[in-house]
Amino acid sequence: MLKCKHAVEKADALVDGTPLGRTERLALYFHLLICHHCRRYLRQLRALLGVLPRQQDALDDGRTRAILDKLDPPQQH
Amino acid sequence: MPQTETDSPEFLTKLRNGDRAAFGQLVKTHHNMLLATARSMLSPADAEEAVQDAWIAAHRAIGKFEGRSQLRTWLTRIVINQARMMLRKSGREIQFDPTDQQDALAYRFRDDGHWQQPPQQWELGGPDALLTREELRRCMEKHLARMPDNQRLVLELRDLQGMEFDAICNMLDVSASNVRVLLHRARARLFELVDHFQETGEC
Repeated sequence: MLKCKHAVEKADALVDGTPLGRTERLALYFHLLICHHCRRYLRQLRALLGVLPRQQDALDDGRTRAILDKLDPPQQH
Repeated sequence: MPQTETDSPEFLTKLRNGDRAAFGQLVKTHHNMLLATARSMLSPADAEEAVQDAWIAAHRAIGKFEGRSQLRTWLTRIVINQARMMLRKSGREIQFDPTDQQDALAYRFRDDGHWQQPPQQWELGGPDALLTREELRRCMEKHLARMPDNQRLVLELRDLQGMEFDAICNMLDVSASNVRVLLHRARARLFELVDHFQETGEC
């Protein structure tokens, strides 16, 4: 029988879409079927990872120009 | 990892030919994400410097970019190398061996491996949903800043930026199993913090 402690470790594979071996996968699914604490852990972990503070805004024009100004001048051939 | 418009063949040709507007578009699109990566390794001021230096290095090398990886992966690798060089100059480096670090949730299991303190039920829905609260967001940022560098970097690359495991292992030169352990530890810390917040209302 898979223990909760190990189910929590293996839950990462479900979050990440990492393939598990057949026996491992069945053991994990069976554990989740009977253990509502681990189901809750997995559900809440997924929700948590979905709200982490991401930095994906585009840089404004002024700061973009400032970076370009510090690059090497184009090579003249 | 999602494809970005800066990976189209036409755009790459412009970049390789030294088109300044195209390089500006590249900076605009990727700078803040690269800065977040650098910040997970360095102080904010050093991170700015590392990314600026990375842009200079990328600009010099872009003519030779072969397109075998995505631009974002290529740029991230340059930033990480730049940041590691800065760390080395001040006699520091990031270790990726996770053996000396504790799992933040370990104490919540009994010796037989079952939950002793199972997770709280988080309020995930409704207008006052736990994960949308401003205090929790600030609390997470505080904890992210205090997290060990190796865990924060792996969390940043995988869970915040969605990079593939293979790309992360390659750019950090770390085994997949170490990356997975570090990522698990980082997630466990955040889970523990949110669970504590749900229970006590405190960071």
